[in-house]
Amino acid sequence: MSWETVIGLEIHAQLSTKSKLFSGGSTKFGAESNTHVDLVDMGLPGVLPVANKEAFYKAIKFGLATGAHINQISSFDRKNYFYPDLPKGYQITQMTKPIVEKGSIKVSTENGEKIINITRAHLEEDAGKSIHDLFEGETGVDLNRAGTPLLEIVSEPEISSAKEAVAYFKAIRQLVTFLDICDGNMAQGSMRCDVNVSIKKIDSKELGTRAELKNINSFKFIEKAINFEIERQISVIESGESVVQETRLYDSDKNETRSMRSKEEANDYRYFPCPDLLPVVISDKELNEIKDNLPELPEEKQKRYISEIGLESSEAKIISSSKAMADMFEEASKKTDDAKMTAKWLVGDISALLNKENIEIDESKLSPENFGKLIERISDNTISGKIAKSVLEEVWENGNDVDEIIKAKGLIQIQDESLLEQIATQVLNSNPDQVAAYRSGKDKLFGFFVGQVMKETQGKANPKSVNEILKKILS
Amino acid sequence: MDKKTVTTISYLSRLKIDPEEEEKITSDLENIIKFVDQLNDAETSDIEPLTNPLEKTAKTRTDQVTAKNLKKELLEIGPSSNEDYFLVPRVVE
Repeated sequence: MSWETVIGLEIHAQLSTKSKLFSGGSTKFGAESNTHVDLVDMGLPGVLPVANKEAFYKAIKFGLATGAHINQISSFDRKNYFYPDLPKGYQITQMTKPIVEKGSIKVSTENGEKIINITRAHLEEDAGKSIHDLFEGETGVDLNRAGTPLLEIVSEPEISSAKEAVAYFKAIRQLVTFLDICDGNMAQGSMRCDVNVSIKKIDSKELGTRAELKNINSFKFIEKAINFEIERQISVIESGESVVQETRLYDSDKNETRSMRSKEEANDYRYFPCPDLLPVVISDKELNEIKDNLPELPEEKQKRYISEIGLESSEAKIISSSKAMADMFEEASKKTDDAKMTAKWLVGDISALLNKENIEIDESKLSPENFGKLIERISDNTISGKIAKSVLEEVWENGNDVDEIIKAKGLIQIQDESLLEQIATQVLNSNPDQVAAYRSGKDKLFGFFVGQVMKETQGKANPKSVNEILKKILS
Repeated sequence: MDKKTVTTISYLSRLKIDPEEEEKITSDLENIIKFVDQLNDAETSDIEPLTNPLEKTAKTRTDQVTAKNLKKELLEIGPSSNEDYFLVPRVVE
């Protein structure tokens, strides 16, 4: 029997505000436990939450970039449940009036572009962190993360495979990083997702019962967890049983999903409007200001790189694929007149190094200033492209200044034409057989001569000058 | 309102109900709901839901860190803690 998969994603993106959604506690990652906790985050009696306007602005940016409706009056609700890392006994979220509704995003899938609709994106506070494995018989609670603003982005159930779910997640991550509303750092948990998976017979109109997979934080695991879950549901149904609506946890060590029974008893969240918070109003003026200041998005960047800078479309696509790449390109280009060469190096040698180490460019030791300088030194003929590669290797290793490396290693290109002529003559004199063969028509040997001169000069000659000089002597 | 609902509510709110009181609480709750249900008779189809009885909108904060590090003081008021964490009976997923 043939089955069709129906997937919806709930992505939690941590908004990159300095302070929390309802308190002046810091949101900085990696602090000593329980040092970024405000009285409001603790849920102490008598405290009142006050909403952080910046979180709204960031959510609105997302809404505008996805062509969504912005609710200029939005309100907060309480979602009630007991868990140690939720001190108040409820999470403040937006159930009835979310700030963003009905948007969409273009996703590149294996079968071309697909529009995935976004049901809603709402603001809510994150919980603290429970540490289960540190103490005998007890769980430790760190409330640094409690109250951190999250944007929960809920897709329509329109995703039809694990690969497509990953592509959708990547598109959202690309968008939020370009909008500068979330750092997109999955290892630090700045983006996590819950996945709703169900299967149905191909010709059936009715959706099957869904299972919710919780808290997955890497592209690889999204794909694996969904594929495991699809297989599990098919085998459940084909053996004559039915899928139970439940929350399941993905275990990456065992590559399986398993039922989280503890969550099930308590899935009645009894939402009600939060009496501590009044509706937040966004004025037309605020909305227009955000609209006017939306940053350039990948698609626009790609077009501009092609039309204004003259990049190849393949180059423009790679460079605009991530915020870090685009920033590197634009910053480095300020240090040199040769933006096209900057692009070539970024897409060529530098991408190769990134792939080799499997890192993003902002994780490398290459700074935009230093990279721009490297390109400028090629472009002003201080060093040859070949030498530049070795300089890049060194910068890559230790992040040293390009000019310092060139000076310390004596890599400056030989500009002295008479010196180059001298070396060229020497090379030809010591290879009389090859010269004779060249003169009798073996044109290909020209490259050999160029190579020999470059070798003699340890790569410090400008290949173009070497070509011209050799041509002159040999003619 | 039946006994099962009362048990569920008591579990969700973590409030223990004395079995002897169960019947009285069930009928009390039933009466409360009956009383509140009168609201259903009001015609509200043309009225926007009211999220807050104060017809005002929220004051908001600018995005600034104002909290001090109160780690020591806060951990002290927890029922159980060590020098770094609040401690609770082990919760396992």
